[in-house]
This record gives sequence, structure tokens and C-alpha cells, in this order.
Amino acid sequence: MKKNKKLILPLVSMLVLSILLSACGGGDNASSGENGSSGSGKVTISFMHWRGEDSEALNNTIDAFEKENPNIHVEMQTLPSDQYQSTVQSKISDGSTGDVFASFPGAQFEAFTKAGLFTDLTGSSFLSAYNPKLIEAGQHDGKQYAIPYQLVYNDPIYNVKLFEKYGLTPPTDWQGFLALCQTLKDNGIIPIAFAGADIGPGQFMNTMVMNNAPSDDIFTKVEAGEAKLTDEFWVKTLTQIKELNDKGYFQQDALGTKDPAAGALFIQEKAAMLASGSYQLAQNKQQNPNLEQKLLAPITVSADQAKYEGVHTTTFMLAVNSKSKHPEEAKKFLEFLSKPDVAGEYANQTGQNVTVNDVKYDTPELQVAGEWANKKTVFQPRFTILNGDNQKAVTNSIQAVLSGTSPEEAAQQAQAIIDQHIGK
Amino acid sequence: MKNRIQLSLFLLPGLLLYVALFVFPTLTGLFYSFTDWDGVSPSYAFVGMDNYKDSLSSIVFRKAFGNNVEFMLTVVIAQTFISLVLALLLVRNTKTRVVLRALYFLPAILSSVSVGLIWAFMYDPSIGLINYGLNEAGMGSMAHNWIGDPKIAIYSIAAVQVWAHAGQMMIVFIAGLQGIPAELYEAARMDGGSKWQVFRTVTWPLLAPSATIVVAYTTIQSFKAFDLIFTMTDGGPNYATEILTTYIYHTAFGSYSFGLASAGSMIFLVLLALLTLLQFKALRADRVSY
Repeated sequence: MKKNKKLILPLVSMLVLSILLSACGGGDNASSGENGSSGSGKVTISFMHWRGEDSEALNNTIDAFEKENPNIHVEMQTLPSDQYQSTVQSKISDGSTGDVFASFPGAQFEAFTKAGLFTDLTGSSFLSAYNPKLIEAGQHDGKQYAIPYQLVYNDPIYNVKLFEKYGLTPPTDWQGFLALCQTLKDNGIIPIAFAGADIGPGQFMNTMVMNNAPSDDIFTKVEAGEAKLTDEFWVKTLTQIKELNDKGYFQQDALGTKDPAAGALFIQEKAAMLASGSYQLAQNKQQNPNLEQKLLAPITVSADQAKYEGVHTTTFMLAVNSKSKHPEEAKKFLEFLSKPDVAGEYANQTGQNVTVNDVKYDTPELQVAGEWANKKTVFQPRFTILNGDNQKAVTNSIQAVLSGTSPEEAAQQAQAIIDQHIGK
Repeated sequence: MKNRIQLSLFLLPGLLLYVALFVFPTLTGLFYSFTDWDGVSPSYAFVGMDNYKDSLSSIVFRKAFGNNVEFMLTVVIAQTFISLVLALLLVRNTKTRVVLRALYFLPAILSSVSVGLIWAFMYDPSIGLINYGLNEAGMGSMAHNWIGDPKIAIYSIAAVQVWAHAGQMMIVFIAGLQGIPAELYEAARMDGGSKWQVFRTVTWPLLAPSATIVVAYTTIQSFKAFDLIFTMTDGGPNYATEILTTYIYHTAFGSYSFGLASAGSMIFLVLLALLTLLQFKALRADRVSY
């Protein structure tokens, strides 16, 4: 009897807790039923994404949308990208929030597709506003689940004036690229500012590997066990990155340099190239208005063997939540974003290129990237690695060679990690 | 009986919070550790002990565990020593002690994310303050690639962890020192004991309870570190600073393997519990009474 008495308190506590928890759950569902609409018949849709820096531009877009659609109110919710990566699925999974939401290409898109979080947008009339090739990243099994809205070229940026000063032009082969770097180094300029501590390996590997493995599914094969990092394409890529490092073409101790510091070297014109992507053009110009910038990709093979001129990524993939209570209103918002003038406003205000056709870009930086639309580019190879741990193993093998490991050994170590994942 | 009911009512909110914030998530994690749940899908399959086997045989998990131990030992030894030295220096009645105590304690109130971001910037080999300062002071040979060199990166972060928390532990030691009766020192000095002898025979044995707290707290705190490493290196370069907490985070949110990450969390929880238990058992034996 005494023992039973002792049990009363924990049992009562558990009961109260379970009531509280179920009340919380019920509250969510109850409110979500009403959430989307008010008494006046106005529907509220939630738009969730990670680009806080675009809030002002998107608020203007939302204002314009609400003027055109007085019965729809868009509530924008932004989270920092790290937090977005870790919490978005729990927020959108019951449909109470994120009627329109953004997702990353690659691992997140795959996981969301598998979970059925996307509404199938195949056949929607507004899809014709986009460059069909550039929205492929939002497709799965032939269905369009998300629309990649932003377009990035993951090619190194170069300082046009510095190139002109030393009579340099973008090279067409590996020997030409090495000679270009040497000329810059001989003149006291850092050839390539490389953020080895964070984004550098993940960005630079794309253009370095694109012609060493001239196929858009080489990493898909690696993850399927049909190709290995110890194969020639990756060992050669690592060897060439090591060569650039050993010859002093990256700044000293590149492995300890983070993105802002590498960016500063380029902005201050101490470095002639910055191993990042077109997304950084506007920010660089803002900090140094004298900069004249263009994009170039290192060609790692002979000119006649080069299949690709550069790398593109389409991201900020907009989708309609499959659990949304207001899918038609959510689609209407996507349709509005797809208009060339609306997309143009967004692009010009944020400094980001978009995947929408016939957009007029105002700034030279956006036009620079726009010129690349006609070049032969491949979708960012790193994002074709769907497992985050495998992605890390690949980029870490670059860090390994920069810290002195031989390319063969670094490739072997990374392959061993991937083998473990394949085996699961 | 009335008292008991009142006591129970007082305990209830705490118990509810404990169940909601610890017991419930732990049990949920334990459940998912036996599944292949990806963290998003509504469905999952039970995989038995596979996640545990995969975690324990994972190259990255093992490397992370080794780094965890290295980081913990470095922090515990350095932080205990430095905080003790600071306490011994600042327990005296000097005019500057209040200001100095506040200064040394200050880093403890800063957010570890801010601390990590600031120190990562200071450690930058090209534009960081540390190498710049060393070069300006004519000690350029000591300039280093602090968080970019895989051989020393973990120690560079450990130094920041110590910087951030040594002041906090100094306060614990100061409280312990102030609790030692002055007559014991007088007796020791009258017996002709040197400073070192007084420290060894009086101060240190009587500081054992404070040392227990400092070592136990520092061990647990450094073993479950996350923010500093996440913001400074994110486990890099090439897994040199990957520890179990960052491994679990990357497994869950990088590759959407929640089942595997949950198994990693459970192993981590057991390791932490064992460590805490061992700590208290080992250090309880050192207690001295007077």
C-alpha cells in the first residue's frame, strides 16, 4: 500500500503532462483550422524561408501581391539557414505553417520528396515562365515538386582591372591557368583567395571536377558504388588542388581562412580571384565600388577536352506544402513570383540572379552572371551528392590534401567513409 | 501529511518540466534509435541494433570520440590549473582584486556563439589579431594557422573554452579558499612551513571539495561542448575537431539520418553518465575534514 502511495505523485504528474501535451497538440490543430482565414473571408498563407537578407525585397513583393489579391494575406517567416535546415520539417509537417516554403536542393529536397511534403506542381501554367533546364533540380521522377528561384554560378570571380593590368585573359586549359596564376604571383598579387576553412572546398571543387569527370552524374555513381573517389577523376582533381596550394597560388594558410576573410582579400584587391560564386558579386561591389568583376572557371584539361565552361546551381526552391489548407492561394503567390517584372524587382533589389525568363537586370553584376546563361554549364556537382556525410567526406578530402596528405591517401580515406554509408 | 502534500505540490512543476524536457525527449530518442527514420517521413522501419552497430563502427564516430577525449582532457587540466592559479592570486586583499575578478569572470557571461565567431576571426591567419599581434611584437615565428592546422586546431579551440570558463571556476576556488580557517595557516607558518609546504599540506587538501566541483563541472561541460566548435570550425579541417555532438548534428541535419543520430545520442548519453559517475566516485575519496 505504501509503495502504491509513492507511485501516486509520478502517475498524477504523467497524467497532467499527457493532458497538457495533448492540449498543446489539439490547440495546434484547432488553430490551424481557423488560421488561414478570418471572418472577412480573407485567407492568410504563410511563406517560410531562410533568406532574411531578402526580407525587404520580398515585403515589397508581398505588398504588390496583396494589392492584386485583396483576399489573400501573406505572412512571411524567416529563419537563419542553419536553424532552417534543422527545424523546417517539424514546422511544415502538419500544414499549419509554410503554405509556401523554400527548400535546399540535394539532401533536403530528396528527404522532403520522400516524406511527401511537396504539392505536385507539374502542368502549372506559370512553369512556362522559367528556363526549363534551370528548374530541373526541383523535379523528381518527372514531376515538378519545387521551383528553384535563384540562379547562382559557382565559378570563381576575377578582378577585371587587375587582369587587364597584367595582360591576362581567362585561360582555356590547365597550363594556361597555371601560367596565369604564376604571373599574378610574380607581381605580388595573391592569385586565388580561398576560404579553406568553410565554403572554399565546397565551391571550388565544382569547377575543378567538372571536366575531370565530364558527366553530370559522377557523384550519383559514387553514391551508388559504381564509381569511386579513388578513381582517376577525383585523384586528379585533388592533385591539381594540391598543386595550386604547393605553388603558393592560394593565400598562405588557406585552410584557416573563412569566407569573410577570403572575401576581404579580394575586395581589397590583394587577390585577383575569389573561389566563390556569382552570389558574392553584389556584396563585393558594395564594399569596393571600384571593382570590376567577371566570372571564370579553371579549365583542368586541355582546351579540346573541356566539355563544360562553368557550374550553375539553382536554389531557394519554392514549393507548396502538400498539407496546406490553402493550396490554390499558395499557388497564386508562386504564380505572382513567376512574373518576369516581379522576379526582376526581386533580382535587382537583392542582387541575385533568378531562373525566370526575360528578366531585365539593372546592375553590371547581375548582367555579368546573366551572360553565363548561354554558356555550357553543369549543375553544381557537390549538390548531386545526396548524403550530407558523403558531401562532407568529399570536401574534407580537399582539406586533407591542403594539410599535407597525399591525394591518393585523402581519396582513399574519403572513399572508406562513403563505403560505410553505402553499406548501410 | 499536509506537509507532504505541500512539498509534492512544490515539486510538481519541476518534475513536470523534467519529464517534458528530459525524460520524454530521451525516451523518444531511444525509440527512434531503433528505427531508420529520416526525421521527415511519416513512416519508418525498425532496424533493431543496426544503428548502434553502425555508429560504433563508423570511422567518423570513432574519430569524433577520440577528439572528444582529447578536447576534454586538455580543457580539464588547463582550466583547473589556470582557475586555481587565478584564485590564489586574487583571494588576497589587494585594491585591484574586485576589478580583476570581474574581468576574469566576464567571458563566462558572453554567449558561446559570439565567443566562437569572434575568436575564429582573431585566429584568422591572414587578417586575425593574434598573428598580427605576434608579428608586431617581433614574435612572428610563433604565428600559426591556429584553427586551420589539423594538428593543433582542437587545442586552439580548447584554449578558447578555457578562456571563456576559467574565471567562472576561479570563483568556485575563491569560495573554497575563503572557507579555509586562517588559524590553520598561522599554525603552519609558525611550524616554519614554506609557501609550497603550506599549499601542499593545508590549502590543497582543504580545497578538495572545490576541486571536485571544478573538475566534475569542467569534465561534463567540455565533453558536451558544441557551440564553440560548431561556430569556429564546424568539425574541420578534415574532421580534426569533429566531436560527438557535432557528429550527431551532422548526421541528423546534414544527411537526414535521425535514427542513426539518435543512436549516437544514446551512446553519448551513456558515456556522459559513466563519466559523471566515475568522477564523483574518484573525487569523493579525496575529501578531507578538519
